[in-house]
Amino acid sequence: MRFVYAFFIKTYLTVMKMKNWPPTALLGLILLITIVLITAIGPLLIPNDPYMANMAERLSSPSLTYPFGTDHMGRCIFSRIVIGSQATLGITVLVITTVILIGIPIGLVSGYIGGRVDSIVMRLADGLIALPEFILAIAIAGFLGPSLTNLMISVVLVKWISYTRVVRGIVLSEREKEYVLAARVGGCTTWRIITRHLLPQIISPVLVLATLDVGKIILIISSLSYLGLGAQPPAPEWGAMLSDGRPYFQTFPELMIYPGMAIFIVVLSCNLIGEGLRDKLGEKSI
Amino acid sequence: MTISVDFTQPLTNDYVKEETFFQSLPLLEIKNLSISSLGENKKEDIKLVKNINFTIKSGEMLGIVGESGSGKSLTACALVGLLPKSLKVTEGQIKLHGRELLNLSEKEMRRLRGNEIAYIFQNYQGSFTPFIKIGNQLIEALRSHRKISKLDAKKKVLIWLERVKLPANQVFTSYPYQLSGGQLQRAALAAALMFQPFLIVADEPTTALDVLTSENILDLLVELQKEYNCAVLLISHNLNHVLKRTDSIAVMYGGQIVERGLTNEIRKNPIHPYTKLLLQARPVLSRVVPEKLVVIPGEPGLVAEQGCAFALRCPKSFKKCSILPKMQSVGDSQWVACHAADLEADYTNASS
Amino acid sequence: MLQVEKVSKSYRSTSVLTEVTFQMEQGESLGLIGESGSGKSTMAKLIVGLEHLDGGQITLNGLDFQQLRGAELRKARRHVQVVFQDPWASLNPKLPVWKSIIEPLENYPDVVPSFLKGVRNDKRKMAEILLEKVGLDRDFLERYPHQLSGGQRQRVGIARGIGLQPNLLICDEPTSSLDVSIQAQILNLLKELKKEFNMSYLFISHDMASVQYMCDRIAVFKQGVLVDLFLSKDLFSDTRHPYTKMLVQATVER
Repeated sequence: MRFVYAFFIKTYLTVMKMKNWPPTALLGLILLITIVLITAIGPLLIPNDPYMANMAERLSSPSLTYPFGTDHMGRCIFSRIVIGSQATLGITVLVITTVILIGIPIGLVSGYIGGRVDSIVMRLADGLIALPEFILAIAIAGFLGPSLTNLMISVVLVKWISYTRVVRGIVLSEREKEYVLAARVGGCTTWRIITRHLLPQIISPVLVLATLDVGKIILIISSLSYLGLGAQPPAPEWGAMLSDGRPYFQTFPELMIYPGMAIFIVVLSCNLIGEGLRDKLGEKSI
Repeated sequence: MTISVDFTQPLTNDYVKEETFFQSLPLLEIKNLSISSLGENKKEDIKLVKNINFTIKSGEMLGIVGESGSGKSLTACALVGLLPKSLKVTEGQIKLHGRELLNLSEKEMRRLRGNEIAYIFQNYQGSFTPFIKIGNQLIEALRSHRKISKLDAKKKVLIWLERVKLPANQVFTSYPYQLSGGQLQRAALAAALMFQPFLIVADEPTTALDVLTSENILDLLVELQKEYNCAVLLISHNLNHVLKRTDSIAVMYGGQIVERGLTNEIRKNPIHPYTKLLLQARPVLSRVVPEKLVVIPGEPGLVAEQGCAFALRCPKSFKKCSILPKMQSVGDSQWVACHAADLEADYTNASS
Repeated sequence: MLQVEKVSKSYRSTSVLTEVTFQMEQGESLGLIGESGSGKSTMAKLIVGLEHLDGGQITLNGLDFQQLRGAELRKARRHVQVVFQDPWASLNPKLPVWKSIIEPLENYPDVVPSFLKGVRNDKRKMAEILLEKVGLDRDFLERYPHQLSGGQRQRVGIARGIGLQPNLLICDEPTSSLDVSIQAQILNLLKELKKEFNMSYLFISHDMASVQYMCDRIAVFKQGVLVDLFLSKDLFSDTRHPYTKMLVQATVER
């Protein structure tokens, strides 16, 4: 647990030290904070029960009662999007955290200690790289069966390796630098070298990688849900909502436009932040 | 070694190379040159090189010595028009054969580089593209500047590789990574000299090389320079190299030339406190090893904003040093900019 | 104190060191000189234990590093410390100066050097004392490496090196990436510290003049072979190896 603690504290400090954010990143940050706030206080905002079907008012246009109108089951689209953000964002955060917590330690060990761990990790990475992420995620999710948990597992399985690769690469180049040699000569244990000297060097690249990945992960989750492999009806989730709206695409495009816009805004804001971070932290390689 | 006369003569050149004509005139004249960096908001510009003057004659080797940040490399870059975008020449003139170089267009400057002024970098790996054979790179360089058939170019390249004492045929077909640093720097020397430039700018040419290798390469440079009577501007932080080989020296500190003159004069009789300390504050091989080395106080970055740049580190500085000292001639072939030295000179004049 | 016996080392098929043998006494300073690739830096890495030897033996104070494992090895290693060549790379850019300096002392909490008696539990005080020893004042404690000049960083590196009061301090080209005007400062500092702590120096350099200034004896390496080993005062003697003579020739001023 010390490791996890150290990582988050150091991440926090890295972010706090930065000044003069570029305006685009600031815009992304404001957007994201707004969305997170809406997600948090969502249940207080919604005018209707997102699960309550009302066949009498199905596919109605926006009105005061239904700000975005209703879907094919007569449920309030606005309420469903607000509540659906909990699923989408929640899963994303969980996935990213898990991926980081798996990817970094393995990358550190594999890069610094090398040996058998390293060769296994690298063979695995080569194998995973050969297959497109998305296809692989579909295959795993399909194999495990449709549910939110399985969806998360499949995304984590697909994603962790890219973090391990990045971390390993940095560690390989850093471990030969004189300050690491100096630490070894000064009697540092391997554990201490990894946590004290190497970990801080990988925080900023991982941070950048993670923010840029948030968008991709949301898209994967939504796509899998769209294919019916993720959230199961009637649970609101943006990807699943897109999927639900598909038969009415021609007559009632709003059914797809609203969840599509929601996904678009979140992905956009994450990418804006990620690019801002990348420029700020000077991680040009990612 | 057989050399056909054709290949050692310049093939085409806009300017007739009549050495007799230029003998009396300086080849390169730098007058009052200042270089500033444009700050981010383009308002405050920091002067990095401050009003420097020097000249080089054909066949002369001038050494510029100074610490990092003294502006010696910037001067060289300005000379060949390779200053980074954030830096600008704000004042002064650079004249080659009386022709102002600062007004030349980028295209004219490109023609001039290589053809009339050659540049040898510190980073020998950077002078060649890693995945093209040395021979082909040299031929390409030759053909981009001169109208010459491929076969002739190859002959010429081989001759020059031999000139710099490399196994010509082998090096010709090698990739850069197959050669050692010394060999690469020799090849770079061949690349520079095969155009028979008027001036070679060598910016720390041997810093990355071993002691014996650098000695050999510098010896070769001197040898070829004598043979072709071109001028060399040797920039180095290694006093030893410069003292050993140059005809004259300019010592820079904080963007100013603090002392210049004939190498022998300066070695025997340094006048500026910085030059004096530089000569003393380094271990020198001798039969009697000193117990302690003379130390220049402070750090290289310590440059006075006003007046003499060295004033903050100078043991002899006094009130007047906050005013920029003028270059004064001492004897026939030595110039120094130092108030303390002036004072001493006055004193000795008065007493004698 | 240090015994190097028939040490060989090769990377893949290229041999870097062949059967190198020499000894060092406590308080003595030995200069290793040679071109790049002559194996002098590899020698240093073998002595500190950053690399494993292929053949031969290195013993320090009677202990064979190759046979020690784990905690024993760590304990033995503290008697050798290193000052690295590149002051820009040898300090962790993310740590303030004082943390870098006292890191070895944190790693060996049992070691109490004579000059740190009484303040062994006060980390800042220890860092302050060490900084003072290398001629930097306490204002530097909180600075980060990027705020220092090359000479100042090298001083910090030296402070870290002497913290454990090692028997042997290996100086791997400590001045070669510094400006001329700073080299003398650092060489003088190293010489003073050596006298103060009666340390032995293994001084690695490609510059004959600095080696002559710093060392009692000089070992000349050529392509992994120790070709010449002599007292510094015999540097100009006629019996020197031809290679040594060439190096001297290249360094003397005409």
